[in-house]
Amino acid sequence: MKLLPIVLIRQLASYARTPSTYLNIAIFLTLSVALGLYTSPWLEKNNSDLHVFFQFHPWLYLLLIPALATQLWSDEANKGFLGLMKTLPVTAFDWVVGKFLAAWFVASTALLMTLPLVVIANYLGEADNTVIASQVLASWLLAGSYLSVGCFICVLAHQRTVIFLLTLGLLLIASGLSSLLDALEHQAPIGLLDTLASLSPALRFNSIDDGKLTLRDTLYFISMIFAFLSATTVTLNYKHS
Amino acid sequence: MPNLFGKKMIEISNLTKHAGNSIILSDFSFSANQQECLGLFGQDATVKTTLLDVIAGSTPPSSGVISIQGFNMQTHALKAKQLIGYQLANDPGHPTMSVKTFLGFIAALRGLHGADKRTRLEHAVARLELFAVLDAPLDSLSIDWKRKVAIAQAILHGPALLLLDEPTDGLSPEQKPAFKALIQALTQEMTVIVASRHCDELSDLCTRALVIAGGRLVADTALPDLQRDSRHFQAVTLTAESPLDLLALAVLPGVAGIEEHRHAPGTVTVLAMPGHTIYPHINTLIASRRWKINSLNLEPGRLNDVVHHLSQEASA
Repeated sequence: MKLLPIVLIRQLASYARTPSTYLNIAIFLTLSVALGLYTSPWLEKNNSDLHVFFQFHPWLYLLLIPALATQLWSDEANKGFLGLMKTLPVTAFDWVVGKFLAAWFVASTALLMTLPLVVIANYLGEADNTVIASQVLASWLLAGSYLSVGCFICVLAHQRTVIFLLTLGLLLIASGLSSLLDALEHQAPIGLLDTLASLSPALRFNSIDDGKLTLRDTLYFISMIFAFLSATTVTLNYKHS
Repeated sequence: MPNLFGKKMIEISNLTKHAGNSIILSDFSFSANQQECLGLFGQDATVKTTLLDVIAGSTPPSSGVISIQGFNMQTHALKAKQLIGYQLANDPGHPTMSVKTFLGFIAALRGLHGADKRTRLEHAVARLELFAVLDAPLDSLSIDWKRKVAIAQAILHGPALLLLDEPTDGLSPEQKPAFKALIQALTQEMTVIVASRHCDELSDLCTRALVIAGGRLVADTALPDLQRDSRHFQAVTLTAESPLDLLALAVLPGVAGIEEHRHAPGTVTVLAMPGHTIYPHINTLIASRRWKINSLNLEPGRLNDVVHHLSQEASA
């Protein structure tokens, strides 16, 4: 536990030194704003929240999160480096949580860079800042839960491309679950639909995104992060023994 | 530093390691005290590396107990790992991290901080003379510098047990004396286990030799005893300008045989019978015959041959 901050700082330094981090954040921000402005007349409509921008986040994270995840264990790609790390008195929990928090911090930075939109919304009209705060929180939690999935994939696979594709695939399924539900609406029993709907992060995200910040939906994301990080720690411990 | 004399630094009992269906180490037991330098010899490099990995706690054993200063590696892994410094055979590499950052990171993970961390880092850097490469990325270093960084990383927290895996690989012959002096100095402070293919290089460093063959410990003796087993123990190698009278050499008392060097004409090795000293007799012969001798060496015994022989015996 004591060594967690050291792992975290090292991982942040590793992100900061990699140009692709900046590129990914830039793409995320550009697409976020461009898609929002392109699909809806936000500037003319004088909206009180940022829903037009945030509704794309579950899809945009499909690009950002796998890219961040591939870098999580890239330091340890070197055989000698990895071997050395195993001999150090650091627990699997420190490694996993330290690295996860660093990646989440980078994702949060990307999210915070949308701050000018909040300023513009407030400048142009009557912005509902509590709804905006709820939207930012939803997006932040979503990024965290997606990253925890990425962390888990990282301990299963070693090649960067495999990590990227697996994470992308898994998140695509998660994000696409809501579309699947729409397609199944009249074919499947309602119980199954409800179960699937309760599993879908995108639907949970939409409900918080609309400004309905409930404990249930927040806990859903937190428990997802918790579950995947535990799975990662257990897998890492298992692999070393 | 606490007085640890008499207390076992490392104790290994009945260690066995399987990899899949093959047995890498079987029923391995030994112990070592403070200020010992153990040479780990054997033909198969993977076996030696696996043993060091198991001692360092990076691979768990299939069965058996390892305890470092009384801390069991299975149950008190973090405390035991803190006492060990390990220079791996695979050098650490990183595309961007500089030597300074790397050592700082390892020191932090070893739980060092503040002024203590700084002095220990400076000490390790000074000991291995790393000043010239401090700001260079790890991947840009040549193999000998990487080795030195790997050793610096292993000693910076002042471990009680130092594991070195092929430390002299990639070092040029000029660097080796300084390096030996370093290991000798380290032996004063900690228990050192060196795994190496070049047994003869370590003959004057190690106090004890462990020979592994076929996954088993076939010899655990003081190094001089192992040298005594060599056919070349007390042998004399001499090079002369003019052809030597081999018959005169062969009839000297205690001479067991003569080996001529095919690649170096004029060089012969005279073997001694066990328990006999032939050096003075050869000297007298040279003086009486007035041979022009270019070099005359008394051999301490060829460890490589002994280790090879033991391995052959074990596999047969």
